[in-house]
Amino acid sequence: MDTGIIIKTLPILLKGCVMTVELTVITLIIGTVLGILFALMKLSNNIVLRLISGFYTWIIRGTPMLLQLFFFYYGLPFIGIRLSPMQAAIIGLGLNSGAYMAEIIRGGILSIDKGQFEAAKALGFNYSETMQKIILPQTFKVIIPPVGNEFITILKDTSLVSTIAMVELMRTAQQMYASTFRPIEIFFTAAVLYLIMTTVFTSIFSAYEKKLSVY
Amino acid sequence: MEKLSQENIEYMIEATNITKRFGDLEVFRDITVNVKKGEVLCIIGPSGSGKSTFLRCLNHLEEINGGKIVIEGEELNPKDKKLVRKITTKMGMVFQQFNLFPHMTVLQNVMEAPMVVKKEDKNAVLERAKMLLNKVGLGDKMDFYPSKLSGGQKQRVAIARALCMNPDIMLFDEPTSALDPELVGEVLSVMQNLANEGMTMVVVTHEMGFAKEVADRVIFMDGGKIVEEGKPKGIFSNPKEDRTKAFLEKVLM
Repeated sequence: MDTGIIIKTLPILLKGCVMTVELTVITLIIGTVLGILFALMKLSNNIVLRLISGFYTWIIRGTPMLLQLFFFYYGLPFIGIRLSPMQAAIIGLGLNSGAYMAEIIRGGILSIDKGQFEAAKALGFNYSETMQKIILPQTFKVIIPPVGNEFITILKDTSLVSTIAMVELMRTAQQMYASTFRPIEIFFTAAVLYLIMTTVFTSIFSAYEKKLSVY
Repeated sequence: MEKLSQENIEYMIEATNITKRFGDLEVFRDITVNVKKGEVLCIIGPSGSGKSTFLRCLNHLEEINGGKIVIEGEELNPKDKKLVRKITTKMGMVFQQFNLFPHMTVLQNVMEAPMVVKKEDKNAVLERAKMLLNKVGLGDKMDFYPSKLSGGQKQRVAIARALCMNPDIMLFDEPTSALDPELVGEVLSVMQNLANEGMTMVVVTHEMGFAKEVADRVIFMDGGKIVEEGKPKGIFSNPKEDRTKAFLEKVLM
């Protein structure tokens, strides 16, 4: 292994890492917001909201993310919607993680004891107060492990957007490989960088989990 | 002890001919119960008699299928959600399983509802919450999470939490049934103090001693019907109905 190559390409690969982290964080935020929204829709008494939410998770979870990204980036221009790689990537990743988060959050809400809803109701909380103050805070504690899992999946799945011209870590590695023809060094370094990122995020999540375990 | 209301409302609770079904199962039919201001009503009876469900209908945790419920002169109309909320916040509810909010400290549990629901000033609520927690003997546990408390302590927090909303009526749904025997007394004494202060109370209970001593009136329910009703003295020492007799013999052995 030629360490000179690694040292030379490392700064460029690190730049790719920044984009990977950026995409991951944006995706997680969008995914959480969409996830809460669609989870509540799926649990609502309104059949229309339930159907919309069910349709969304059905489509997103039932088709490959790569296909969805291609659809947003290469497909939409044919109906007059031209997205930049960044826009297509964020929409594709966000919608995708939203569907998985919705299922995680729905499971979390269902795991909360019925007595919590009753106590809130008896004290006069309305629906949104009950959710905001009583149910969702408890849900977050329950869902940290699966959300941590989802977060790591997102981080790795960002590599898929390299196929729609987003220059993140995977794409950078491919470019470096094409210009140096040193696949071992380049992909080894990229793998280590992915591992470092997932390890850091895993420890952040376990620290958060520990913090919430006070009750 | 009984303070009659200065207002024109004779009864705090008027449940008239109420019926409740779960699907095909009829829990009770045509039950009528009125509760005066300051009265302590205990409802006793075997499990499955419908007594808890009756209590839960009063503050709309269950919707009735027939009859009507009037609280302090206002009818509980399920279609008017705002009104239902307004009426039910006049009633504090204490559950068998406590149902404290596990992610909040004792103090937060007590303060949350007045601040969120009634939008009360934080300092006023804080003062009242501390006063109530001292009253139930938990002034030193304010910053604890519920998981660190015993069952009796949890239930006393739950009572303080309900009281912090300044309710006119307190509903107790088997408040000591989930407690270890040695912890029952501390909860009952808090309830007794509350009764002595003139709180209107409806208590579903298996604690016959409490019903005997504290209740102004006792209702014996069985099979979805009110079998017998009267002063505790009469019910406990001289029950008229055979079913009441049989039940009391079983529980009072």
